[in-house]
Amino acid sequence: MSNLLPPIGHALRPARFGVRFSKLVRQRETGLLLLIVLTCVVVGIKDIHFLSCEVWREILVRCAATAIVACGVMLVVVTGEIDISVGSLMALLAAVMGRMISEHEWDISCWIGIPATLGLGTLIGVFTGCLVSVGRVPSIIVTLGLLTALRGLTTLIMGGQNIDRLPEGLTQLAKQGLCGVPLSILAAVGVIGLTSVLIHHIPLGRRLYALGSSAESARMAGLSAVRLKLFVFGYTGFLTALATIVDVPRLPKIEAGIGSEFELLVITCVVVGGVAISGGHGRLSGVLLAVVLMTMIRPVLTFMDIGEAGEKWTRAIQGMFILLAVVTDSFFLRRQRSSGGEHTA
Amino acid sequence: MTTAEAVIQIRGLRKSYDGVHALRDINLDVAQAEIHAICGENGAGKSTLIKMLSGIVRADTGHITVSGTQLLTGSVQASESLGIAVMHQESAAFPHLNAIENLFVGRELTRCGGLYLNHIAMKSQTERLLQRLGVSVDLRVPVGELPLAQRQMVALARVLSRNCRLLIMDEPTASLSNRESQTLLRIVQQLQISGVTVLYVSHRLDEVFQIADRVTVLRDGRHVATHRIADVDRQQLICDMVGRSIEEQHRPRAHATDDSAVILDVTQLTRCGVFEDISFHVRAGEILGLTGLVGAGRSEIARAIFGIDEFDEGEVRVSGRKLKGGSVQDAMASGIGMVPEDRQHEGLILPMSVGENLSLAMLRGLTHWGLIRRRAERDLTDAQIRDLSVKAASSRIAAATLSGGNQQKLVLGKWLARKPKVLILDEPTRGVDVGAKSQVHGLIRNLASTGMATLLISSDLPELLALCDRLLVVRNGRIVGELQGRTATQEAVLSLALPDAAGLQLREAQQ
Repeated sequence: MSNLLPPIGHALRPARFGVRFSKLVRQRETGLLLLIVLTCVVVGIKDIHFLSCEVWREILVRCAATAIVACGVMLVVVTGEIDISVGSLMALLAAVMGRMISEHEWDISCWIGIPATLGLGTLIGVFTGCLVSVGRVPSIIVTLGLLTALRGLTTLIMGGQNIDRLPEGLTQLAKQGLCGVPLSILAAVGVIGLTSVLIHHIPLGRRLYALGSSAESARMAGLSAVRLKLFVFGYTGFLTALATIVDVPRLPKIEAGIGSEFELLVITCVVVGGVAISGGHGRLSGVLLAVVLMTMIRPVLTFMDIGEAGEKWTRAIQGMFILLAVVTDSFFLRRQRSSGGEHTA
Repeated sequence: MTTAEAVIQIRGLRKSYDGVHALRDINLDVAQAEIHAICGENGAGKSTLIKMLSGIVRADTGHITVSGTQLLTGSVQASESLGIAVMHQESAAFPHLNAIENLFVGRELTRCGGLYLNHIAMKSQTERLLQRLGVSVDLRVPVGELPLAQRQMVALARVLSRNCRLLIMDEPTASLSNRESQTLLRIVQQLQISGVTVLYVSHRLDEVFQIADRVTVLRDGRHVATHRIADVDRQQLICDMVGRSIEEQHRPRAHATDDSAVILDVTQLTRCGVFEDISFHVRAGEILGLTGLVGAGRSEIARAIFGIDEFDEGEVRVSGRKLKGGSVQDAMASGIGMVPEDRQHEGLILPMSVGENLSLAMLRGLTHWGLIRRRAERDLTDAQIRDLSVKAASSRIAAATLSGGNQQKLVLGKWLARKPKVLILDEPTRGVDVGAKSQVHGLIRNLASTGMATLLISSDLPELLALCDRLLVVRNGRIVGELQGRTATQEAVLSLALPDAAGLQLREAQQ
C-alpha cells in the first residue's frame, strides 16, 4: 500500500529535556527514592550507625514478607479489585503450619507440611477469586468477610495456646539463611523477579492491566475476566503462604494475633507505590520502594531516640504517607486533565 | 446484487428491550468488498445492529450468515473468529496501555512456545501498520493521553491487525477534523481494494456519497430502503430517514406571549471546546426545544446551566439574578430543576422506595426539629402518585421495580413538588412506551401552563414539534438556527442539524 496520505499527528521526535525532566518528577519512584535517601542522610548524620550493614540487613529482612505479599496484592489492585484479607490468611496459615510441623504438635515432616501450607494458601486465594469473579460479590466485601472469618478460624485452631518449637532446621534457615542471606530475602528476590517477568514479558500480565484499564473493552477483546481474577487472587494466596513460611519461623513462637493489620500495611505500600486504586496502572518498582519506606519508619524512629513515643508515631506517619500519595495523585491528574483539554480544543 | 455473492446475509433479525422494539425483521445483504453505508436518525436501531454483529447483543429471532457460516450472536469470540471487527466512535480501547499493547491485547505475539511476549515483533508490526496508515504515534505514551485523531488511528490499526474481513465503523469521523476525515476515508477505500467489506455508519451524508457503494436506511428499528448510491440523492435519503410527516393534532397552543416575563436568560455561554456563544431566553409558560444530533453539545449546555459543569464565559440569569457558575446548589436555590438524560443513574435512587424518591428533593420542608415527619411525607407522596398516575402498588415499593415510563413520571413528580421556575428536561421520553409517552407529554404541558419556563432537549423530532413553542438547533456546539414551533418541519430541523454539505444543500433547496 502506498504512503501518499498526509500524516496525522506529529513526527516522532526525541522528547526534549524539559519534557523528560517533568516526566521523571511525575514518576512516583523518584519521589520515594528521594524520601528514602533524604531520611538516610538525616538519620545518618545523627547516628552513623544507621547506615551500617547490620541495620540494613534487619530492615530488608523486615521488608521481605511485605514485599512478597505486595507483589500479589498489587496485581489484584491493577485488575480493579482489592484484597484486605492477607493478614488473617497469614495468621491462619501460620497456625496450620505450626500445628503440622511443630515438635510439640503433630510433628509432620517439613517436606509435607510446607507444600501443604502453600497449597492451602493458594486454595483459599482461588476460593476468594471464585466468589469475586463467578459469584460477582464485590471483592472488598468478600475479603472483609474473610478478614474476620479466617481470624476466627485461627483462634479455633490455636485453641488459646501459642505454638512453639518449630523444627530446628527451618528456624535456622529463616534466621541465618543460605550463605548468610536469610531465607525470606531469597524468597523475596525470587518473587520480585517472577512478578516482574509476569508483568513485562508474559501475555497474562499484560491482560491484567488491560482488564483493569477497561473491563468493557477487555470483554470485547475476548478476554476472560473470570480466569484473570482467579489467577490474581490465587497468586496472592500462594504468595501469602510463601511469606508465612519464610517469615514466621524467625519468631520465637506463633501467637493468634500474628499478622494483624498486615493487610493494611500491604495496601498502604501498594497505594503509596503509585498503583491506581481504580486499576489499570501501577509499577512494581514503585511498590517495592514504598515497602522499603514504610518499613524504615520504625527503625528510623528508634534511631531518632524518641523512646516510647516512637511506637505511637509509626502508624501516624504511615497514614500521612497514604494521604500524601493520594493528594499528589489527584494534583497531577488535574494538571494532566487541564493540559489534555488544550489538546482537544 | 444477488444473494449469491452476498458475504453477509441478515434474515428476519429482531430484538426488543423490555417490550420496546429496537430492531424488527431486518433483512440485509452485503456483498464482498462492498462499502455499505447505514443511515438513520438517533435511535433508529443502527447501534443495536452493530452490537449484534459484533457479538455483544443476542438476537431474539432471526439469523446472520457470514460467508455461508451461521453466526452465533451474543459471543464476541464467535464474531471475531468469522473476521468481524468493530471500530467504535471514540475507542480509546485501553486508556492506560500504550499503542503496541492496545494492538495486541488478547492475541499477543509470543516466543518460546507461547510463554514469553515477543516485544520486538509486536513493536515492528505496530510500526508497519501505523506506517501503512500514514500516521506517526508515540508508541510509549498511554493511548489515553494521545490526541483524539491519533487514538482513532490506533483503534483502526488494532482492527486491521486482526485480519478482519468485515469492518464495522461506527461514526468513525465524528471527532476528526475535515482533513483527518479525508485521510481516514482514503484508508477505508484502500481497505476495500484489498478485499475488506465495510459497514459504514455515519451521520455525515457527504461521506456516505463519497465512499459508499450502497446505502441502507433504518427508521424505528425497521429496514426502510436500500439504494445503490448512484440511484439516490440526498433529499431522498433524508426523506427516508425522517419518514412520515407528523400528525397535526398535537400542535402546541402558545402558553407564553411575547410580553411574558423572561425567566431564564442565557448570554454568550461558552465552554472551550464543547460549546460556544450560546445565547437564548425562555419566558414564563414557554416550552423551548433544544435539538441537534447526539454529540452536538445539547446536554453539555444543559449541564452547564444547571451547574454540573463549569463554563468559561458568559452568564446565566434566572428572573434577573445572576447564577454562580458550576454550582448546582445555587442553580437549585434560584429555581432551576433538571431531569437528566440518564434517569436511572442521575434522576432516581433506584433501591429507595417510590415515596422516598418523591420526597427526597423537598425533605427540608417535611422536617420538624430536624426529624422527618413520616405522616406528612406519606400523605404528600400518596397524593403525588395519584396526580401523576404512577402505576405503583404502593409508595413503599422500590423505584427499581417500576417500568421506564413510570420511573420518568416519578422524576417529573419530584420536580413538580418543588415548583421550580425553570425546568430542564433532557430526553424525557427516551425508552418510554407510547402510552406513558403521551402522559409525560401531558405532564410537561401542564407544568408549562402553570407558568414554568421549560427547556426541552430531545432527539425525537415529532415530540419537539408537538410540544415546543420555539426550537433551537445546535450543531458542533453552536446554535445554528431558531424555528417557530407552529411552522417548523422535520426537514427544516434536520437540514440545520446535519453537520455538512448534506444539510447545506437541503437548506439551499428550501430557500
